[in-house]
Amino acid sequence: MSDHHSHEEPVGITSPYAARIRSIEALLLEKGILTEPEVQDSISYMEARSPANGAKLVARAWVDPDFKALLLSDGKAAASELGMAPKHPAELIVVENTPEVHNLIVCTLCSCYPRAILGRPPDWYKSFEYRSRAVKEPRAVIREFGFEPPEGGEVIVHDSTADVRYMVLPMRPTDTEDLSEEELAELVTRDSLVGVNVPRAPSRTGHG
Amino acid sequence: MGRVHDMGGSPGGPIDKGQHEVEDWERLADAINGALGAKGLQSTDELRRAIESLENYRDLSYYERWVAATEKLLVEKGVLSSDEIDERTAEIERRWDGP
Amino acid sequence: MTFEPGARVRVLPSEKPGHVRTPAYLKGKVGWVESLIGEFPNPEELAYGHSGLPERPLYKVGFRQTDLWQDYIGPAEDFLYADIYEHWLEPERGTT
Repeated sequence: MSDHHSHEEPVGITSPYAARIRSIEALLLEKGILTEPEVQDSISYMEARSPANGAKLVARAWVDPDFKALLLSDGKAAASELGMAPKHPAELIVVENTPEVHNLIVCTLCSCYPRAILGRPPDWYKSFEYRSRAVKEPRAVIREFGFEPPEGGEVIVHDSTADVRYMVLPMRPTDTEDLSEEELAELVTRDSLVGVNVPRAPSRTGHG
Repeated sequence: MGRVHDMGGSPGGPIDKGQHEVEDWERLADAINGALGAKGLQSTDELRRAIESLENYRDLSYYERWVAATEKLLVEKGVLSSDEIDERTAEIERRWDGP
Repeated sequence: MTFEPGARVRVLPSEKPGHVRTPAYLKGKVGWVESLIGEFPNPEELAYGHSGLPERPLYKVGFRQTDLWQDYIGPAEDFLYADIYEHWLEPERGTT
């Protein structure tokens, strides 16, 4: 009987595949194909990844021009510098938003996403609607998320079709000169790292 | 090989921005694939190919596709058999359904 | 490297079966090579458990959205980039 992990599914099972993956796990463990520590490590690895990592990379790039240059030229090296050592062999390319250019990331073929940095992608990113429409009508998609691309600017879409994962380096919001790096990171939303929106504006709580 | 997955530019409706709570079995699907990948037993490319080949691709959720594809690959490689997966799945479901 | 940055290229309109990472909406389309990303084992082979060697050059290829979609809503400067393997590209001999 499998007592490993604490994730039984006693209530509200939503999919017949829930039992199926558990049976696969049990069989793989019994046959020694995988060990419990290996499965647990894999769980922990994903749990440690979140948009907060992306926010840290962005905030550091906003305050440190050398780090920004590294982030834009060698994303994995920049991530490693902040202790995020991505295990996945895929390249990480960070694309920069400017007043003239707004970037949007999609994977039309599956849902490639910089999981090694940001963790799991949101449901909408994996949706058929996003995967279908982001390449053909990026401006309409971005508007659906509540952001209006700047007048006269370009919208650039990156379809992650191969061994590269993409992340956006959004523009630093205005009126943030007095914020600490930590405070800056709090403005960076997951959606701004994919490009469907931009970072939060700073709240007016008497800085400077 | 179906091309259903190759959907860039296809018509699509409004994007549902809701986020479901990731369930434990979905975390496990992620973890099993991660662990198999880390040991060189399965590649991302194999997983993608197996997902793309699912006949009911459009009817399955994201992680359901992962589980179905993982099973396909493990059976293909002779690591597990569909029968033993069926059997163990039925046992687990009986246990969950209670006495 | 077969293609230099700036080279005009056409994506092969191939319907080869099996696992490919060239999306249908780009097949037959003309764009430009933005950069060489690097060389990687061929995913079409990796997908079936083969080594995927020798590694193949992977390019970042840019397209004008107005060249991709008849009814594209947006300016001519809106671009789309996709990562395409060299064996899916051929030189585009048309005039610019």
